[in-house]
Amino acid sequence: MIKHTTLIFAALFLTTIVLLAVAAPMLPLVDPVKMDILGRMAGPSLAHPLGQDEYGRDVLSRIAFGARASLGVALTGAILAALVGVTLGLVGAYFQGWAEQATMRPLDVILSFPPMLLALLAVTLMGPGVQTLSVILALLFAPTYARVTFGEVLTVRNQEYIEAAKALGHRPTRILARTILPNVAGPILVQFSLVVAAGIVLESGLSFLGLGVVPPTPSWGLMVRGARPFMEANPLGLIWPCVALVLTVFSINRICDAMRDLFDPKASAAVLPVSRLLAGTGIGRSRARPAAPAAFDGTLLDIRHLSTEISTPRGTIRAIDGVSLQVKPGEAVALVGESGSGKSMTGLSVMQLLPRKVGRIADGEVWYASRDGQRTDLAHVPANLFRRFRGREMAMVFQEPMASLNPVYTVGFQLIEALTAHGQMTKRDAWDGARRMLERVGIPDPERRLNEYPHQLSGGMRQRVAIAIALCGDPSLIIADEPTTALDVTIQAQILDLLEEIQAAAGIGLVFITHNLGVVAEIADRVVVMYCGQVIEEGPVDDIFHNPRHPYTRGLLASVPRPEDMAGQHKRLSSIPGTVPSPLALPPGCRFAPRCDHATSACVVAVPELEAVSANQNTRCIRWKEI
Amino acid sequence: MHYILRRCMTATATLFAVATLIFLLLHIVPGDPAEILLSGGGVAPSPESVEAMRVQLGLDRPLLEQYGSYLARIATGDLGQSFQDGFPIATEIITRLPRTLELVLAATLISVIIGLPAGLAAALKRGGALDGFLSSLASFGLSIPIFVTGTLLILLFSQTLRIVPAGGYVDFLESPAEHVIYLLMPAASIAVGLIPVVFRMVRASILEFLEKEWVRTARAKGLLERTVLIRHVIRNSLSPVVTVLGLHMGTLLGGTVLVEYVFNWPGLSGMLVRAVEQRDYPAVQGIVLVICLLFVLINLAVDLIYGILDPRVRYE
Amino acid sequence: MTEAILEVTNLRKHYTSTRGLFSRGSAPVKAVDDVSFSIAPGEVLGLVGESGSGKSTVGRTVLRLHEPTSGTIRFGGEDITKAPAGRMRELRREMQIVFQDPFGSLNPRSRVSEIIGEALDLLGSLPRDQKRDRVVDLLQQVGLSGDHLRRFPHEFSGGQRQRLGIARALAVRPKLIVADEPVAALDVSIQAQIMNLLVDLQREIGVAMLFISHDLGLVEFIADRVMVMYLGRIVEVAPARDIYANPRHPYTKALLSAAPVADPRLAKRRERILLQGELPSPANPPSGCTFRTRCPFALPECAGERPAYRKVADQHFHACIRDDIAGGEEVREVMALAT
Repeated sequence: MIKHTTLIFAALFLTTIVLLAVAAPMLPLVDPVKMDILGRMAGPSLAHPLGQDEYGRDVLSRIAFGARASLGVALTGAILAALVGVTLGLVGAYFQGWAEQATMRPLDVILSFPPMLLALLAVTLMGPGVQTLSVILALLFAPTYARVTFGEVLTVRNQEYIEAAKALGHRPTRILARTILPNVAGPILVQFSLVVAAGIVLESGLSFLGLGVVPPTPSWGLMVRGARPFMEANPLGLIWPCVALVLTVFSINRICDAMRDLFDPKASAAVLPVSRLLAGTGIGRSRARPAAPAAFDGTLLDIRHLSTEISTPRGTIRAIDGVSLQVKPGEAVALVGESGSGKSMTGLSVMQLLPRKVGRIADGEVWYASRDGQRTDLAHVPANLFRRFRGREMAMVFQEPMASLNPVYTVGFQLIEALTAHGQMTKRDAWDGARRMLERVGIPDPERRLNEYPHQLSGGMRQRVAIAIALCGDPSLIIADEPTTALDVTIQAQILDLLEEIQAAAGIGLVFITHNLGVVAEIADRVVVMYCGQVIEEGPVDDIFHNPRHPYTRGLLASVPRPEDMAGQHKRLSSIPGTVPSPLALPPGCRFAPRCDHATSACVVAVPELEAVSANQNTRCIRWKEI
Repeated sequence: MHYILRRCMTATATLFAVATLIFLLLHIVPGDPAEILLSGGGVAPSPESVEAMRVQLGLDRPLLEQYGSYLARIATGDLGQSFQDGFPIATEIITRLPRTLELVLAATLISVIIGLPAGLAAALKRGGALDGFLSSLASFGLSIPIFVTGTLLILLFSQTLRIVPAGGYVDFLESPAEHVIYLLMPAASIAVGLIPVVFRMVRASILEFLEKEWVRTARAKGLLERTVLIRHVIRNSLSPVVTVLGLHMGTLLGGTVLVEYVFNWPGLSGMLVRAVEQRDYPAVQGIVLVICLLFVLINLAVDLIYGILDPRVRYE
Repeated sequence: MTEAILEVTNLRKHYTSTRGLFSRGSAPVKAVDDVSFSIAPGEVLGLVGESGSGKSTVGRTVLRLHEPTSGTIRFGGEDITKAPAGRMRELRREMQIVFQDPFGSLNPRSRVSEIIGEALDLLGSLPRDQKRDRVVDLLQQVGLSGDHLRRFPHEFSGGQRQRLGIARALAVRPKLIVADEPVAALDVSIQAQIMNLLVDLQREIGVAMLFISHDLGLVEFIADRVMVMYLGRIVEVAPARDIYANPRHPYTKALLSAAPVADPRLAKRRERILLQGELPSPANPPSGCTFRTRCPFALPECAGERPAYRKVADQHFHACIRDDIAGGEEVREVMALAT
């Protein structure tokens, strides 16, 4: 692992340099300013392990004392800058309003100077020297601290735990110091290291120009400056300080990166070890291609024993495990379940839109009947041929209408893109087609809307646009993944009506994924209830709501407040105890058993099979007859 | 329209603030500025020369009056005369500025041409060997101070291999080919520090945008994978990359000082370094003002490009 | 009638956007516009509305987590609208808030013992072991146990985190709790657990509660009285049973009919009032009745005066000038005419 080797090297090197700098006066080193004309530009020897410079001074000793100067200046500057910057940032972001104007605006001015120039300006006025350098660094880097702190505090500030602390009646100073500061300390620490590195670079740069550290005090920048004219005769004299400088800066940066990964796992460059895991196990290669079912039995989509695996940093999970379900043309099938039930994964598996590199179909078949009557197992269609089905045969509508539309393109562009994905079309025709699509989903003034961007539309409008995009290829199957969850009730009612109407008009098969039982009752013909990646009950909507067999389905239905619950003095919702188990630690046997009131010892022995309750209804419970 | 106007006003305000700060710096520094500027070699200046300097800098007048005439002066483009030779500073800046700009432009171009495809490749093959290699290379490139890059390039290519001259400048009109040869190493030195910046930003934003839901929508439409990538991933990631490039221009413009010094490139920096050494305050002040103006203008341009790239900003 | 624990009169909260130095002068967003109500000790008042109605702003403004633009807030008879910061900090102990987001509302860097202990500190310092016992008590009260003391928030599930949030609010023995969508982020089966917990605790300690939610079913379950909010204003307020059985304002009716019912037979039989269009911008609300632009029953007169509250029954008020849309049949008739 390259990453770890470089990190260990960085840590070791930095420790050495810091120790060298701190201990330089105590070590048995040659005096760094003592000249030796006879030993000018001598190569390495026992007395001078790294050789001698153009005045015959000991290079090793000068590197050690140079580290002292560089690190000293950079650290002093970084600490001063941190004190000023963090305070200003905290105050500005927490109090906002005038405090923000007063603290942040002046700093913006400093930031509009290129740092090197501001430094030169200051040197002109104050003269070169170590003190000047520290002051300059503090001045230059205070704004970056303030910016980082400001930004971090702003995000943290709007977190509800800050409001909670306020609501409890804590003082602002206490909230700043005890609640906010610990939560922003990580990024500030990272910033601190970056500033130290930047400080070393700036100090050496100025010294190199002869405007930083004043000779004879040794500094890496000065060493490069001194050795430059003699680089032909003594390249080593040039290379040593360069190496010291580069490696020190690299080490600090490397440690910074590691720290950042630690504090912000999202920005991490670290990768899940999955690409290798999945390499060579591409869909359709490892398994024999099953034969198509003999006769076309009228189903549009027939999922059989589908299993999908997702690789997570903590192990591979089976997001869906042996799911079977059928959808007929013109039928609305609701896929119901709580978070982690695998309902969304089922939809994404059918569309082959599982998260790149981490998700894959592990087993099972997805039979789909195209318009021409041909039946294909979608689970075995290679990725490069799958495009044929998306958009034209089957389309998808997602939960977040804002996120599912690209913000930089107009509505018209995104519609036309969908219209022309499967065939050429003149500009005029495409535009007319796009307008007709918007009319079809009930958007008033479609001509104008075509030229607008997604952010100019309201949430409900955006979802209508997303539905219009799905309809562009005239699909036979639409998979709608929580399409109304992000919307308000009155808008939700509009969208549900629209979906119902479109589905009825075009005879589209609809898979409606939701957690909301009310929505299910409104739209579904059949219901499939999922729990922990498995179908635990399925049947016609009336049977599921009025004659549920599985204890989980019952519990779920009972959790919804009904008029009966309000009666009497003892208001009570029936609830399901406990929580959904982690997909990494599924219970043996029935996955619902740990939360089930009716569980017996038999329930934990083996995973129950899906049993037929009636001609149309199946349930996965060994005790359904008794309960 | 509204957006452009607002950005322009902000830029003007920033410039005004920068000019004010430069003016104030002279007065904030403890001690008599005239005396400080004259006490170069550690020798105390004579009272007469200090008095002369005070008059020359206008320090004998009330602060507000000084400020007013200073603003009026720079507004007309008059940056004053050099202490050294008494020549108008503005004239010299105008001859030298294009050379610095050329350097910055060439370096940016090289960085984008190399950084963009590298970042894209690393992002698409995330976690692979190429990604690991390029990422390590980038963090190493970021750690080399610009004058070290320049010096080592000279050591390698001019002293050891002897394929390019160690430094200097030939006018483009005189010999275009030679001009480019002299431009090569300074531009490369700047690019070594800038390529990693572009690379990292491109890689990060491609990775971010690959996960967006609209990419899933685009795939669900049945678009070609290549179309999805170009239209819905790369196109979107341009805005953050442009922003970062703009923000980096400050460091870049500062970095040219060192590079021009190393390669003897007759841009603004030679003049600046000499002026700082000689404590020629009017000259330093003039150059800093011009470069800040440049920096502000670049950022204004970046803001405007951003507005074109991202419609949300335009309609805010 | 006993004296109200919370009494809010003509409360307004306007936000002016201050984006930068040069973009002043845009119209203020009237998040809360002239809202008055009161809560009796031990009463649960439900506040229903869609996103953008201003319901959360009401919750935060009455606690003065956000400063009101105008109006008065009386808490336990004391006018706290202008109470100085010191007095406010004392009062905060008596009024608490439970948030929606179980992930954002707990400090990720504090242990459970600190999260709850910090709240206890405000009541005065306790000896270490007594404090610990009290924290364990509180945890048990909300269905957790002493085993959880040393854990960090991320080690809990959404429902458990919400229990922690409730325990923190209870720690200071408040007289009023504002519950802002406390179960909206939870799964259905967990929602029911938390709702039951809230009902039990409320009964047990007799705390008054402002229960804010977009879910009519939950509000009906928990609230004694219900307020319906639209675009910064209250359009109807009534005892819970009344408002569901006999809604008077067209918006209340529309909201009730739009809410999906978890019963397929009922769902397919009933008529729905489908509202056209979407919420207007609160920066530029319609004149007169703010709902008129989407109301299927709007008359030209609706654009004129802001409608006054009218009493229909004991404790039942609404702000609609029409009387003739009372019954369900009427609604259907109008709908038939409209199509």
